[in-house]
Amino acid sequence: MDILIVLEDSNGKIHRMGLESIVGAQKMAEELGLSIGALVMGANVDLLAEEASGLNVGEVLKVENELLSTYSADGYAETVKQVIEQENPTYVIFGHTYQVRDYAPKVSAKLMKPFIVDNVSVTTNGGNSVFTKLMFNGKLFSDVTPTGDGPYLISFQSAAFSSEKADVGSAPVRDCTVNLDVSMIRTESEEPFQEEAGGIDLTSADIIVSVGRGIGKEGNIPLAKELAQALGGELASSRPVVDAGWLPAAHQIGSSGQSVSPKMYLALGISGAIQHVVGMKGSKNIVAINKDPEAPIFEIADYGVVGDVLEIIPKLTEGIQ
Amino acid sequence: MPDFQFSNIEKIILTLGTIGCLGSFGYEVWRRFKIVLKGRESLPFDRLGVRCWRVIREVLFHEKVMGGRFWPGLMHGLVFWGFLVFGLITIDHFATGFGVPLLSESLHHAYSYFGIPFAILVLIGIIALAYRRFMIRPAPLGKTSPTSGFVALFIAVLMLTYIYGEFDLSPMVWKINWWLHTSVILAFLWLVPRSKHLHLVLAPVNIFFRPFEQPYHTAVNIDLEGSEDELDSTLVDLTRMTKNQVLDVFSCVECGRCIDVCPANRGGGILDPKNHFILDLRQPLLDQGNVDVLGTINVEAGWECTTCQACTEVCPVGNYVEKSDEIRRLEVLVEGKVPQEYQKLFMNLQESGNTEGHASSPLADRLPSYTPDMEYVLWLGCFARYGLDPNFTKSVENFTKILEVAGVSYGVLENEHCSGDPANRLGDKLTYTMLREHNMEQLAHAKKVVTLCPHCALNLEKEYGKYAEVTYRVFHHTQVIEQLITEGRIKVKKGSEGKVTYHDPCNLSRMLDEVDAPRTAIQASVDDFFELEESGRNTLCCGAGGGLWWKKETKGRTHLVRAEQVVASGADTVVTGCNFCFGMMNQGLKPLTPEGQTEIQVKDVADIVAENLVKIPSV
Amino acid sequence: MGFYTMKIAVLVKQVPGTESPLPIQSNQNWVDEGAVAYVMNESDNYALEEALQIREANDEGEVVAVSLGPDRSQKVIREALAKGADRGIHIQLDTAGMIDPLVTASYFADTFKDENFDLIFTGLQSDDLGMGQTGIILGELLGMSTASMAMATEVGGGKIKVKRELEAGWFQWVSLSLPASVSIQSGLNVPRYPSLKGIMGAKKKEIKVVTPSVANQSQSVEKVYVPQSDKQTVMIEGSVEQIVGKLVETFRNEIKVL
Repeated sequence: MDILIVLEDSNGKIHRMGLESIVGAQKMAEELGLSIGALVMGANVDLLAEEASGLNVGEVLKVENELLSTYSADGYAETVKQVIEQENPTYVIFGHTYQVRDYAPKVSAKLMKPFIVDNVSVTTNGGNSVFTKLMFNGKLFSDVTPTGDGPYLISFQSAAFSSEKADVGSAPVRDCTVNLDVSMIRTESEEPFQEEAGGIDLTSADIIVSVGRGIGKEGNIPLAKELAQALGGELASSRPVVDAGWLPAAHQIGSSGQSVSPKMYLALGISGAIQHVVGMKGSKNIVAINKDPEAPIFEIADYGVVGDVLEIIPKLTEGIQ
Repeated sequence: MPDFQFSNIEKIILTLGTIGCLGSFGYEVWRRFKIVLKGRESLPFDRLGVRCWRVIREVLFHEKVMGGRFWPGLMHGLVFWGFLVFGLITIDHFATGFGVPLLSESLHHAYSYFGIPFAILVLIGIIALAYRRFMIRPAPLGKTSPTSGFVALFIAVLMLTYIYGEFDLSPMVWKINWWLHTSVILAFLWLVPRSKHLHLVLAPVNIFFRPFEQPYHTAVNIDLEGSEDELDSTLVDLTRMTKNQVLDVFSCVECGRCIDVCPANRGGGILDPKNHFILDLRQPLLDQGNVDVLGTINVEAGWECTTCQACTEVCPVGNYVEKSDEIRRLEVLVEGKVPQEYQKLFMNLQESGNTEGHASSPLADRLPSYTPDMEYVLWLGCFARYGLDPNFTKSVENFTKILEVAGVSYGVLENEHCSGDPANRLGDKLTYTMLREHNMEQLAHAKKVVTLCPHCALNLEKEYGKYAEVTYRVFHHTQVIEQLITEGRIKVKKGSEGKVTYHDPCNLSRMLDEVDAPRTAIQASVDDFFELEESGRNTLCCGAGGGLWWKKETKGRTHLVRAEQVVASGADTVVTGCNFCFGMMNQGLKPLTPEGQTEIQVKDVADIVAENLVKIPSV
Repeated sequence: MGFYTMKIAVLVKQVPGTESPLPIQSNQNWVDEGAVAYVMNESDNYALEEALQIREANDEGEVVAVSLGPDRSQKVIREALAKGADRGIHIQLDTAGMIDPLVTASYFADTFKDENFDLIFTGLQSDDLGMGQTGIILGELLGMSTASMAMATEVGGGKIKVKRELEAGWFQWVSLSLPASVSIQSGLNVPRYPSLKGIMGAKKKEIKVVTPSVANQSQSVEKVYVPQSDKQTVMIEGSVEQIVGKLVETFRNEIKVL
């Protein structure tokens, strides 16, 4: 195939970002007239292969090997490298997950072929693909192209494409084998674990619902919490809310708190004082609701509403659910 | 008093006891004084008249002892004045023991008409103080102290034995009474230098030698081109106390007034100025016999301090309590242990010359540039330049409006870098050196500088002046406004803003000694002005000083204590004279305002004057 | 723990500061580096601190700060030396427009041929390019085992244990045999500030300058540009119902979070 999509296992199902990369691959395939295939790998990947075969991915390559029962950078990198050598695709597509960031550069090094990462979009330019990624702390876009021969490794940023748009279809499953030796795997991994929610890590949240003094009083905080839950996001606040004791300090965003740059930052009743702004201005989309049309937050917001947060929040929560 | 004779044996015992205790007293005092003498710099003898008058006010008239704690202060006053009154009697008492009484019998008796009432007053005083210390046990006084108990007992016994001795007694009883009085005095002599009661001797001396500059910290001269030996000696010097500082430690009376007024302590922090900045140093000084003990100061406490100098202001024995500068500079320059948020601050200052790391200032671009024919350099400060509180930009513009109406020419410096106050107060003396040298070059042609930021004002003249000659004069904007009002160059009418109060910024009221100018300006502009508790030189810091504006630590409410007071005062408008106070009030007031109460307006002095300016019809 | 001398290389990169202006060159290929304010890459600072702490725990060892870039890059090497690195290596090259981690890593691999480092630490990714690959590729080229996003490290017995950060608050400990190349995530320690003595002493420490021959990139920048969505705030108006409706639509279709 011309485009090989490498899918990731998320508890027996295809990782959301794998589905998103399928959408990206399908777009490239259509624009460039290329064929696609998807790779699933592990010790036992029947479920994954079955799920993939229900999507329009051309064909599903199934690699099963005992040594892939747990993730290891060496194991996965070697597997993908060998599959690439066998199948000779021009493009190899990944979702830009933490796992991919850990092993895909090794594939790049083994093949001495470029890995173009964290792209937000891809366009075609005269039969070639041009990938767009953010650079310089998210302040500039850059268009990147590979030079020389393929294969080219590509990863797409979370939510660059919408996983819902993955076309369904019927793809046959083909078994593939790779040569893995225990000596190739130089690491030992323990079981993954979660840490106690002592600190709330707002920096990894995609959506943040943040409240300021405009929320009025402690009794209104649950309204914001419900909205955050409906959106699947995290609750945060500016400093005065923490000072007043309405939320614990772990929620604080700003120069004395956490710095975040989520996909969407919903600023409710926040004026936009610089001490808060420095902590969130890197957000990709800022939506601000404030009673005061002169509030500085509107200068950095992408979308703004001059209105009463207390009226809007509950209706918004309803509208989403 | 009958003419009793003392036997030779008694005289010998008395001599031995007196010499022994005086000797021990002298030795302990000398031992401490030797350590004082090892300290850096010299004890100051400048402005002798002012120094003497200060001793009279603070020692004789108990100005600071009674200020703030009036009743306990008065009770202490009784004991103290009694002490003075009994000086002569005590000498006479001992002289009698040697068979050469100073006062004749009739004189002694006459004195007792004065002495006995005083002795009763002293008894009242000491009993009241003992009750407060041992029964009420206020926290700032610390753990119950056995020596205090002894001293209270001693003083009581001395007064009782004096009074008793004036009665008609049998020789035996009189003798016993006499010896009891004498033993207590000798025991006192032994106890005084080994306890906080050394303040009896040292307080007047310490108050006399107290430096005039506030805050009082040694300058740290850093020459990066210098030799490694020079650097080593600079670093060693950072651990060494000055003579004044050592004297402070031995003079401390452990009263805890400094704890009462400390905003960090009141905000729930661990900082306890009495122990962390003074008493913790006492044992190391005595153990080492030397003054290089500044490294023993508690680091965590040191980072909590807002450097507001309230502790220093309130100390009744003349101590310069605050030592955050001393420990922070050790942590930064010697250890490299800097809290994360301050590392970013220092890097911004080094790379961009301002606290925010910004490349340009829209406000500065809008204002006229300074040329040497203009009267004032308008020094903006990072807070105004980079909009740390967007509302303050209007305050700066209001001030320029006032200047324009008065026809005062001003301009801003293109290359104004941070005055360096955050670096200075947070211990990064190297970055401070860079900023200071840059700014002095920029100000080479300036004659007068005016600024809205008291932190800048303090650094530009007084702090810079510790390192090099300063050829310009620095004014706070309220001082310029006051001058314009009194000279009639602007006219202000009294507007109605509801109940207006003024929060004194600590850098302005204490360190720049300016409490009147803002009040003149405000009272010309409003009709309903009232004072907050803890105002003027006794102001409670807003919590942003000492670099704490940039502090990430959010436990503790140092930054809210003053805001709470403002809310509780019932004011409709609070006026401040400092951009940091302005920002802190803006942040703190709304969430603290109870439901139903209207939000308190925050204004700068420039705002309230500009709003009430009577426009002179343009020509 | 190890009685052998632990040799650790820390790759430090000079990147534009968060508040630096980023004017784009007229040919749109890159930014005008002359107008940029540079600082040390943030995660590199954490990597350096981790290396220094390991050397201090080991009592013996060497931390070498290495940077690839033009003359100005020596500043971050000096910074690392001031904080306690023992010596520096400057791979001197004009890096404007250079984005290919394969090329970058091979310059380092070439320079490290004879050094025999036990550990290579890199920051997770650079704040300017955000590739996040150089350390891992370098490790692979030198035949070392690799791990990324270390939130904690433990060195001992010829191995390094790395606490990898996973998504959504999960973590995993991985044990790697030495030599290893590990990329370090921000926040795992509290970086030190250079002491005055450190700053003075750094002037005397060695920075070896090497000039590699330029290699061809396998991926390159066509142009850089400011994102189209210039902050023209879209104001949403109407009744509360209308506003809510428009917001939901925006979330779903424009921002794509629903």
